[in-house]
Amino acid sequence: MSAPVDLKADVAEVLVSEEAIQAKVRELGQRISDDYRGRNLTLVSVLKGSLPFMADLMRAIDVPVRIDLMEVSSYGGTATESSGLVRILKDLSASIAEEDVLLVEDIIDTGLTLNYLIRYLRGKNPASLRICTLLDKPARRLVEIPVDYTGFTIEDRFVVGYGLDYGELYRNLRFVGVLRPEVYSGGG
Amino acid sequence: MSDPRSVETDPGVPSTPDPGVDPSPAFAHASEAELSRILDFYAVRWEYEPRVFPILWNTDGDVLESFSPDFYLPDLDLYVELTTLRQKLVRKKNRKLRRLRELYPEVRIKLFYARDFRALMLKYGRLTLAEELTGTSGQVTPERTYDELLAGPFGPLERAAGGPPDAETPAGAELEADTTTAAAPRRRRRRGPGAPTRAPERTAAER
Repeated sequence: MSAPVDLKADVAEVLVSEEAIQAKVRELGQRISDDYRGRNLTLVSVLKGSLPFMADLMRAIDVPVRIDLMEVSSYGGTATESSGLVRILKDLSASIAEEDVLLVEDIIDTGLTLNYLIRYLRGKNPASLRICTLLDKPARRLVEIPVDYTGFTIEDRFVVGYGLDYGELYRNLRFVGVLRPEVYSGGG
Repeated sequence: MSDPRSVETDPGVPSTPDPGVDPSPAFAHASEAELSRILDFYAVRWEYEPRVFPILWNTDGDVLESFSPDFYLPDLDLYVELTTLRQKLVRKKNRKLRRLRELYPEVRIKLFYARDFRALMLKYGRLTLAEELTGTSGQVTPERTYDELLAGPFGPLERAAGGPPDAETPAGAELEADTTTAAAPRRRRRRGPGAPTRAPERTAAER
């Protein structure tokens, strides 16, 4: 049996505190409410990483919203996925045709997943499609995509918490932190 | 319209794999093969080393040095150069990149360093693979002529003969840098029909 993981001890540094996240979520929620007042807004969350952000953001928005969830396979998830194509693991549960869609992401890094999702969602003919991300890490961006709502632009470090995982752990941390390198490099 | 200063080496090379056909070029480095698989996974079209950009000429107008970025992503109009050399060894590549940006300001190019590639692999839970593919161990041994082996510097023959060791620059590092030179921009990039997925055996010179 593997040794228990000490979630907080594995974090070298808190990059974005719980308080900072909540303040930013309130700010984004207000901006989104102002921008979408009188429109048909659907928030689409990309599982699993954006789940906490989505849960907080939707409650910070004071205009009527529908929510929906999507999940796509990630490269390298399994041996077969590393040689295949991205797959929709969970599709939208309702039509977004003629809806104003706001795609809610936890982090934008290379932009590859987001690029795929945008192309996919545009094919469903929404009235509009915008992007909201809690974290933007532009250092390794391959696909430049205009982001409409950004919480924090962060430096090029491997972060976990508030939905972001390493090996499916650390998602339940209430802050965004930098993982100690020895956690993933196997060192002591 | 193509830039007249550049050379189209493989015009019209299809980048999206045709089912049933193995169009994979023989990548110069296993990390390039891995990046091609990532791009395929996310349905991003790519071309491998489609253009050679001359970056240095002599007074007669002969090309002395050129740069051939590893990938071109046509839908994004972006070139990507991937280097898995250690950071302190990438000065030569950085210099070429600066030169290319000066001469071809319209060309959009992104350099992925070893640390970027490693971070990418970490993101996809494939850090072990990153360790295997980083640096000289992921290098396909380029074909070298007898003259090249003799010429060195610090080539296999010189090393075998007790030539000066180069603690800063492993042989593979030098070879990877050479993939962007004008003298043999294509000689280094093709070896066999398939793309390597694992580190090949290193030569004695690389050990």
